[in-house]
Amino acid sequence: MELLGWIPFFPLLGFLALVFFGRSLSKPMVALIGVGSVGISALLAFLVGFELLRGSMAPYRLALGSWITTGDLTIPFGFYLDSLSMTMLFVVTGVGLLIHLYAAEFMEADAGYARFFAYMNLFVAAMLTLVLADNLLLLYLGWEGVGLGSYLLIGFWYVNPDNGYAARKAFVMTRVGDMALALSLFLLFTELHSLDIQTVMERAQSEWKVGAVLPVTAAALLLGGAAGKSAQLPLQTWLPDAMAGPTPVSALIHAATMVTAGVYLIARTHVLFMLAPSAQTAVAVVGGVTLLIAGFSGLVQTDIKRILAYSTISQIGYMFLALGVGAWSAAIFHLLTHAFFKALLFLAAGAVIFCFHHEHDIFKMGGLRKAMPLAFWSFLIGSAALAALPFTSGYYSKHEILLAAFETSPILWGMGCLGALITGIYSFRLLFVVFFGHQTREVEAAIGNRMRIPLVLLSVLALFGGLLQIPLDTVFPASIETTLPSPSPWVSIVTLMMPILGLLIAALFYLTGTLSSTAFTNEPIKRLLLSGWGFDALYRTLFIHPFVALTRWNKKDVLDSPYLRTAWLSRKLHDLTRAAQTGRIRWYAASMAWGAVVVIAIGLLS
Amino acid sequence: MHSDALIALLPFLMMTATAVAAMLAIAIRRNFALVNGLVGGGIVLSLLSLAPASHRAPVQVTELLRMDDYALFFIALLLLAGLAVLGLCHDYFKEREGQNEELPILLGTALLGGSVLAASSHFASLFLGLETLSISLFTLIGYPVEQRRSLEAAVKYLILSGTSSAFMLMGIAFLYAESGELSFGGLGRFIASEPAMNAVMVSGVVLIVAGLGFKLSLAPFHLWTPDVYEGAPAPVTAFIATVSKGAVFALLLRLFVETGGYGFAPLRPVLSLIAVLSILAGNLLALLQTNVKRLLAYSSIAHMGYLLVAFIAGAAIAKPLVAESVTFYLAAYFITTLGAFGVVSMLSSAQLEAADMALFRGLFWRRPYLAGTFTLMLLSLAGIPLTAGFIGKFYVFTSGADGGFWGLLTAIIVGSGLGIFYYLRIILAMAMEVEKIEPESEEKFVGLQSAVTLVVLSLLLVWFGVFPGDLIPYIHALAGSFGK
Repeated sequence: MELLGWIPFFPLLGFLALVFFGRSLSKPMVALIGVGSVGISALLAFLVGFELLRGSMAPYRLALGSWITTGDLTIPFGFYLDSLSMTMLFVVTGVGLLIHLYAAEFMEADAGYARFFAYMNLFVAAMLTLVLADNLLLLYLGWEGVGLGSYLLIGFWYVNPDNGYAARKAFVMTRVGDMALALSLFLLFTELHSLDIQTVMERAQSEWKVGAVLPVTAAALLLGGAAGKSAQLPLQTWLPDAMAGPTPVSALIHAATMVTAGVYLIARTHVLFMLAPSAQTAVAVVGGVTLLIAGFSGLVQTDIKRILAYSTISQIGYMFLALGVGAWSAAIFHLLTHAFFKALLFLAAGAVIFCFHHEHDIFKMGGLRKAMPLAFWSFLIGSAALAALPFTSGYYSKHEILLAAFETSPILWGMGCLGALITGIYSFRLLFVVFFGHQTREVEAAIGNRMRIPLVLLSVLALFGGLLQIPLDTVFPASIETTLPSPSPWVSIVTLMMPILGLLIAALFYLTGTLSSTAFTNEPIKRLLLSGWGFDALYRTLFIHPFVALTRWNKKDVLDSPYLRTAWLSRKLHDLTRAAQTGRIRWYAASMAWGAVVVIAIGLLS
Repeated sequence: MHSDALIALLPFLMMTATAVAAMLAIAIRRNFALVNGLVGGGIVLSLLSLAPASHRAPVQVTELLRMDDYALFFIALLLLAGLAVLGLCHDYFKEREGQNEELPILLGTALLGGSVLAASSHFASLFLGLETLSISLFTLIGYPVEQRRSLEAAVKYLILSGTSSAFMLMGIAFLYAESGELSFGGLGRFIASEPAMNAVMVSGVVLIVAGLGFKLSLAPFHLWTPDVYEGAPAPVTAFIATVSKGAVFALLLRLFVETGGYGFAPLRPVLSLIAVLSILAGNLLALLQTNVKRLLAYSSIAHMGYLLVAFIAGAAIAKPLVAESVTFYLAAYFITTLGAFGVVSMLSSAQLEAADMALFRGLFWRRPYLAGTFTLMLLSLAGIPLTAGFIGKFYVFTSGADGGFWGLLTAIIVGSGLGIFYYLRIILAMAMEVEKIEPESEEKFVGLQSAVTLVVLSLLLVWFGVFPGDLIPYIHALAGSFGK
């Protein structure tokens, strides 16, 4: 169990080694450090995880020492392992290891190979700190660390200014949420005098009443932080642009791990949300609305990675919906299966892009089924799981969420079902357009084993990951599913049929060509959806333009003028005093005499 | 004379004997390294002789000298600074033409004068010490006699110093005429018994302050400073900036405490004016200065102004705290100033004195260690934390704030703000990259003694900056016994 402390340490070590010696290392050596460090962490994580599973599932605490001690504030360096953080640990190290392995081949031709793995290791170290932290400040450290990693990796190909812009956008948008999270931390500390997560939860439960102002405020601020990191309404606009990063980055950070940190945060502090029913409802509504608007946007995109990005936003929307209706373990379960199938989809898409010379437009692909069988099968499995076709992993988790949503509110269930329909349509549209029809161009490269193995393993997980049983009930209160009677069978049937219906619609449009999509395309609506409902334009008018106008108006900073005047005055006084330094001895002697006269006069007069 | 008194005087006797021995050695054979070593050994012996002297302390040796812990501490400080300057001189002068053998002797006699000042408790010893110091300095400043600038500086210093001595003698005469006393203690008793002061008394005291203010280069008696600093050879400049000023300040504090000068109301506005003027004038003059030696000269004017604030605060706060502040500040100032001029002296070649800021451009890329040392010294002068200079300034602030001298503290804040500008300007210039490197600056002048001195000074600077607690208890104990 003590090995827990070493888990974030190895990626950190890898990061430091690559930062300081990366330039002088050969590429195989870089890959060995970059992948190996995560590999060791994964191994340790499984050792520690199995020990926890074998035991009584009692949470394990590891104190590594004190970080900050000042006055009342004592922040230890401590890790906390229960089944929730263990699940996250498995996702981060397990899926992370596969993606690192994949990236070792994917990025091989890149000049910044060592830099890439340095950033990736830094990210993994920060993400592990985030999920293992036993106090909110350490969590916040990891939270900001993953933000930094995300920023560095989105802008990895910094030569193109657009990528730099996308990186900045992601960083700034998530910072808005981080601000809310920081405020929430301040509030919790001032009111409850602790930042230790378990202590805060206990105190909140004993000191705060359900629905009181304080828990609602704290929970709402936490929701703000979570929405920023997890790309939920209204801070979702950064994620599609974040696809500017290399594809393994999209798979690791913007599908499997970092973007789910918000879900983890809310699950981690679920006690607080249970004390704040209105905030919890807000979580559900945010999730429901986000999953729909992102799904609609996903319908019309033509860039393979942007489709997946909108789909990620939409799926995290499902997780928020689950959190909002109190189906905590269903949310984490969906987080787990989503990590499998979305990483798989990204990696398969990466393989297509890799072999297709960085082509992203799906309508320029087509017919790749024969040319790239492994990518096709991976994509098929991934899409099936994403659409939640029966007996794939996504089916189990999403079904659970929708049934739980029905118990709380049929409206939320309806939104979820509509979302499931749309998910079915866009995921199979993607599959059909890319892999069926006529092959328009030759495939230019083949993929090697380091890319094949992750695809195969993730395919297995995406298919059968739904059978995993995670004893999350030790962390969360009994879920509603078990306490309430099962809903009527038609609810189940409708829920089940939605993705299949979606699949059929997609097939009619894009496989058989029975229906033509152009007939339905109303240009303005399409443009609206393509731009992600115009949120970017809205924010530009609401925030960016006024701010830019303000800065332009204040181009000669008003606040600068006192300082400039001070500098000017100092210069003048310097010139004045310097005039006395003539170098002439008679003037020096005379000034001494005059000085003496003046000081004597002052002495006599006072 | 009592044997205790003789033992207490041992440091002075050692220094005197050293001067005589060195002169005899020159009479036999001229050898710069030998004389240098002889004087260095003499200083070390004097330092060692402080130990038996401190067992006897406090001892009043005749009416003239008071050998107490305070005096012994300052004598030690002056001697250590003298040793550092001697090390710098060795490397600076060994390559130069001319007969440099008398230089160490003059350093020794100047040190003797300074030490007498630190221990003097009588106007006669005051004047004796001051003139021993000053006359040695005239010669030291003008030692490279073939150089016009040095000669000019020496003449300026000679004449102006003479003028200031005349002021001081006049002041002493006024006081003697009124009180009939020449010892500090006696004068103190007289002042205490006469609540009302007449004009002659006031003029006398202010004239003495003016005379000492010249030596400390306090405004408005500061005009000579940049010219002399610039003209003197760099190690000698270091000597003027540290030994000469430190000794005079030690004397000033003793004079005030023993004569009860703090109770002397007319002095307070005079000293406050001098302090504020020094702080402002020093910093303003340094602001756009491009000659590093002149810049350091102006900076020293400002530093003496800061120090004077702690000194003035003595009117309102406990004397031991003042002594503690002043002593720590001076120690930090000694380390820093010696280091700064040490770098200048190491950079100077036989042909060219390294004073123009252009010579410092890109120093980091050519001589990183030297540039790093200089940066450290400049940061300490600016009072940046983790350097001894910060702790010193903190002491001054504490004293000023305890006494409630908010106006003076405002002047310090303004001055420090200006200071950061010009100290950082040098650091910036050193960090700049230069494309072409002048060939003549490539012949690196490296002297072992200077290098060791600089390393020791840098270590001390950081040590006292990070762990001031290692020096403070000692100074605290010494200050506690002072003035009793």
